[in-house]
Amino acid sequence: MSLFPVLERTSRVALIAGGFCTLANPTRAHEAWLLTPAEINALAAEPIPYIFTSYLVLGAAALIGCTATAAGLLAEEKLQSYEAIIAPKLECLAQTIGPTFLRWTLSLMLVLAGTGGLPRHGTALWVEPTLLVPDMQLSLVPDWTWLAQIQIALALFLALGFFTRVIGLAVIVLVAVGLGVFDAQFIAYAPHFVAPALILVLTGAGAWSLDQWFDPDGRLAPPVVTHQPIWRSAQILVGAGFVYLAVVYKLTQPTLLIAILQHGNLPTFGLPYPVIALIMTGVEIICGALLVVGRLVRPVSVVIIGAITFLAVTLGETPLFHANLYGSMLIFAMAGLRWPAQTTSPSNSQEAVA
Amino acid sequence: MKRKILSLIGPMVLIAGLLEALAAGAASFNTGNTAPRSVFLKLPADIPQPSLALSILQDASGNWVLHIDTKAFQFTDICISASEAVPVGHAHVILDGVKIGSAFSPIMHIGVLPPGQHRVSVVLRGQDHRALIGQNGLINAALVVYVV
Repeated sequence: MSLFPVLERTSRVALIAGGFCTLANPTRAHEAWLLTPAEINALAAEPIPYIFTSYLVLGAAALIGCTATAAGLLAEEKLQSYEAIIAPKLECLAQTIGPTFLRWTLSLMLVLAGTGGLPRHGTALWVEPTLLVPDMQLSLVPDWTWLAQIQIALALFLALGFFTRVIGLAVIVLVAVGLGVFDAQFIAYAPHFVAPALILVLTGAGAWSLDQWFDPDGRLAPPVVTHQPIWRSAQILVGAGFVYLAVVYKLTQPTLLIAILQHGNLPTFGLPYPVIALIMTGVEIICGALLVVGRLVRPVSVVIIGAITFLAVTLGETPLFHANLYGSMLIFAMAGLRWPAQTTSPSNSQEAVA
Repeated sequence: MKRKILSLIGPMVLIAGLLEALAAGAASFNTGNTAPRSVFLKLPADIPQPSLALSILQDASGNWVLHIDTKAFQFTDICISASEAVPVGHAHVILDGVKIGSAFSPIMHIGVLPPGQHRVSVVLRGQDHRALIGQNGLINAALVVYVV
């Protein structure tokens, strides 16, 4: 039995399951807002654990992280031999279902943000449109509330796969506007939205799209010589985004992360919460750094998908908060370090998944 | 073998340098910092520190009305995405451990309370919803009301 139909069916099941997951719990909000008033009170007076203030401990943790990274890099060649077995099938999926999943996840985030369906904790559903993420409430910047309608329009185009590459560029412009409107706060989110948009500029709409009918030859596709630089730029952005988030929100605000883990009763396997928090921070930094340097791309992508899923389930958050990351990491896991040469033309990619 | 070692050295130097730099930087940064800045807004020591006192009254229709008497704090209904460390903002009102709303003025109508003992607490928040922290910690107050 060929592996391809199995992968294709699995992808379809994953898309359907993802759809159900996204509807499961839409009212939860960004991590900091999960905490109850009593937990906020306690957090205000909570001292930073010793392991986050001691250079000795953090230095030793960095050394352990380096050792683990070296072991991973040494194992990369071995892993690549296993990857090579399924790589051709995965690369084919990266050009068909991968972009489809990416534009649907991005579209979901855009439409929910634009309609107030992904609000900050404590805000009623469908009342407060946001810009891409729950924390960026458009009502806080009254001159820019029209961005909600722009997001809904972009989402519609993405869902249908119509002018996908142009819409990808428009999403990049939207993020640039977000940076201008929300200043430094938006930096944390910008790379993780620019990256999927860049990927869509490169890949086009993929399967199940109007672009396959209206632009079967991919006339808007960027020149072949730019494919790999665009692909690597997206990986570097995602990786740098993870490093930034880990440093700004975890490494330098550890009590917040620990409070969130305690709130969610995250399984600790007998380890103290500060140690769990330090491990999580280290894993996020190392995974981000590996994406930046372009090593272990597929395993790192799988690890990140697993980690954000585990955290979302444990903390009772909707996976929608990370839908853009699911799309990006899935296509990274499919294609790996290098964007594959076209194995199926845009016009026959529908047959490839049918 | 030589190629394998070379392919290991480049990324390892970068990642090891990053991790060690972050370890040194974080240890230094975290020493002396406590309340996470994503949730709390620390007010400078050289301004009058806000304080608050609460009282609650039942009106003729049986509804409870909370009065938030603040000093050195200005209520506003304008919320912004990132506020300065100034004592301007609103208050979060919490009834029996659950936030019931935001007060953008010193008077908040709570409504009818069921019979029994209830704890009402109030925390001052900045214009970006972060909890204000003064020199003595969180700026909050609480009272207990007995409803018969």
